[in-house]
Amino acid sequence: MIYLDNAATTRPLEGAVGKAAKYLKEEYFNPSARYHGGAEVSRMLARARSFLLERIADPALFELEFTSCGTEADNQAIFSAARRGNAVASAGEHAAVFESFKSLKSRGIEPRFAPVKADGSVDADALVELVDDKTTLVAVVHVNNETGAVNDIAAIAKRVKQKNPRTVFLSDGVQAFGKLPVRLTKDIDFYSVSAHKIGGLKGTGALIRRKACTAFAPYIIGGGQENGMRSGTENTFGIACFYHAAEEKFASLREDGERLRSYRERLWELLDHDIFMRISPENGTPYILTVSAKGLRGEILQRDLWDNGVAVGTGSACSSKKPFSRVIEACGYDEAALYGVLRMSFSPATTEEETEKAAQIINACARRRI
Amino acid sequence: MEKVVIIRYAEIHLKGKNRGYFERVFSVNLEKSLKGIRHELRRMSGRYLVAAFDEADAEEIESRVARVFGVHSYSLGYLTESDMDSILAAAKLVCPAQGSFKVDTHRGDKKYPLTSMQLNAEVGAKLIEAYPALTVDVHTPQHYVYLDIRDGGKALVFGTFEEGANGMPVGTSGKGLLLISGGIDSPVAGYMMAKRGMNVEYLHFHSYPYTNEQAKDKVVELARILSRYAGGNTLMTVSVTHIQEEIHKNCAAELNVTLLRRFMFRIAERIAKRAGAQCLITGESLGQVASQTIEGMTSSNAVVTLPVLRPLVGFDKEEIIVRAKKIGTFETSVLPYEDCCTVFLPEFPAIKPKLSFIEEEEGKLDIDGLVREAVGTLEKITL
Repeated sequence: MIYLDNAATTRPLEGAVGKAAKYLKEEYFNPSARYHGGAEVSRMLARARSFLLERIADPALFELEFTSCGTEADNQAIFSAARRGNAVASAGEHAAVFESFKSLKSRGIEPRFAPVKADGSVDADALVELVDDKTTLVAVVHVNNETGAVNDIAAIAKRVKQKNPRTVFLSDGVQAFGKLPVRLTKDIDFYSVSAHKIGGLKGTGALIRRKACTAFAPYIIGGGQENGMRSGTENTFGIACFYHAAEEKFASLREDGERLRSYRERLWELLDHDIFMRISPENGTPYILTVSAKGLRGEILQRDLWDNGVAVGTGSACSSKKPFSRVIEACGYDEAALYGVLRMSFSPATTEEETEKAAQIINACARRRI
Repeated sequence: MEKVVIIRYAEIHLKGKNRGYFERVFSVNLEKSLKGIRHELRRMSGRYLVAAFDEADAEEIESRVARVFGVHSYSLGYLTESDMDSILAAAKLVCPAQGSFKVDTHRGDKKYPLTSMQLNAEVGAKLIEAYPALTVDVHTPQHYVYLDIRDGGKALVFGTFEEGANGMPVGTSGKGLLLISGGIDSPVAGYMMAKRGMNVEYLHFHSYPYTNEQAKDKVVELARILSRYAGGNTLMTVSVTHIQEEIHKNCAAELNVTLLRRFMFRIAERIAKRAGAQCLITGESLGQVASQTIEGMTSSNAVVTLPVLRPLVGFDKEEIIVRAKKIGTFETSVLPYEDCCTVFLPEFPAIKPKLSFIEEEEGKLDIDGLVREAVGTLEKITL
């Protein structure tokens, strides 16, 4: 199986799982327990927390709380910060942000969505235009999970803060963390990340928060774990896996990025350009290549490819109501292109040989269906 | 005194000399439905009693019994000796301590020393003595206390009659093969036939990779829900992908659906005969969609010899939905997986296809070969 659906989830890294295994089998103690075993686990959490945080932000200015997933981190930030007035997001947000914004309406907060360009990146001018003195929250995804376009969140956050310094700025960094070099600036208040996109486990995420940002209301209340911001006994094994997976990823982040960028371009070069149209921008993340097979159905092609040994993603699941991706639609593509979306996404484990073989199989399957 | 679930049956008493057979099937079905729960099933002149169960299982027993066809009504109550003290002790457990009430006696044991009226009065009086906040209201009481005096010095005491699923015991009316899609209608059609005592087997057509595995899983779930009423423990699936592709490639677009349905019926008949089913069951309702016209049904019937039962033929969509909700299949049916096969849907399907045109178009295909190939894709999924 050639696995090119790493933006959906990645295979857990064996090394990371191996190193973390002792927190599953031997040191299964509750980190809040006041005996030695508990203290040891609690120390591991502290190491993991500072390692993950320091990779992308200044620990003097930011802190990190573990959550159960990226979606929880996004929700936590959104429902803490959007308290009144209006909230602005890009039309290219992941559902974790987009649907949360839509639901703000029922709380009397007006959601506003800024258009995206053809590559999926937000139209920053239009976004800033939507911000006014009643805006309490702005959210811009760091890497668009469907097209791979990268938003310059530092610049956008700066412009937003210039217009309204009281606005809270959130960026969903799930597709960027551990893949792109990131440094959070003081204009960014919240940044959400997830473990299973970088070789950790599903069920582990984190929210990074600027300490000076006071807009924070925990919604899982209980034993006061995570500084009272997110109660519930910590997923110690998951967090240990996250920690060790990140160690591995960050050690070769730049080299991996360069190598995968060349694979991404190689894959595009080998795909049949009479069938496939490119959606992903060249200056996007090296980890994602999204194309459309005009006139074909991405979902059907996807199952066909699985049967032929290649796992890829599509624009979105096919449901009878709206069988194509909201995000790609927002990029302005016509229906024929929307139906045919395929997303190939890489991990550092992807090889050049796999990339080339996948291209052949994708071409063959698509040609058969024409 | 012991806690029991009292089960009364529907229609079986009409069955004259065949009554014994119907009762046997009924009691086997009751036993099946209670599998996994500790209990005893006892006969008692025209009733069944579930007894000897753990108090905590009572609700589960009731909800399972409620799904067994042939059950007219059931009550959770007490089996006691028929002396006054025992009856009164049970009545106190059944009757709430306040509100208006009425005692209603049915005296099966005609030798019992008190008449029904006397029992009503005496038990009623003693209940008021025990619960001073109770008042008698013989016209519109809030609570009933039913006394059923049986032969052999026994009595049943209970507070409500719950309506059962009615119908006939499954297995007493032969076997049918249900063509089950992921939609709202076909599970209801299966339910309706099972309700009349038919054993139902399930057959689903898919067109992978045009349809996805989640769509198939949804049908498995529907069949699983249905099997709680209708029995059957296997879902059969057949791929019609190649047939759809061939029709699409070779035949007039407006006949796509008509032709596909004829293939489905042919395949279903073969599988039905193998499975010992005596008819096909579909969820068609007259005029609901383009293929469910009388011409459409005629064209499908023309390729099979088994009878095709369409229990929903005269139902409106709303009526079907009400039933689907009651059965518990509606929520699953409306899950949004389906319809990638819309690739094959013509813009204007023929509403009144002529048989001669259908046969002419079908003549362009290797009918036997395609049917044989499709039957070869048969898979069985245990529910």
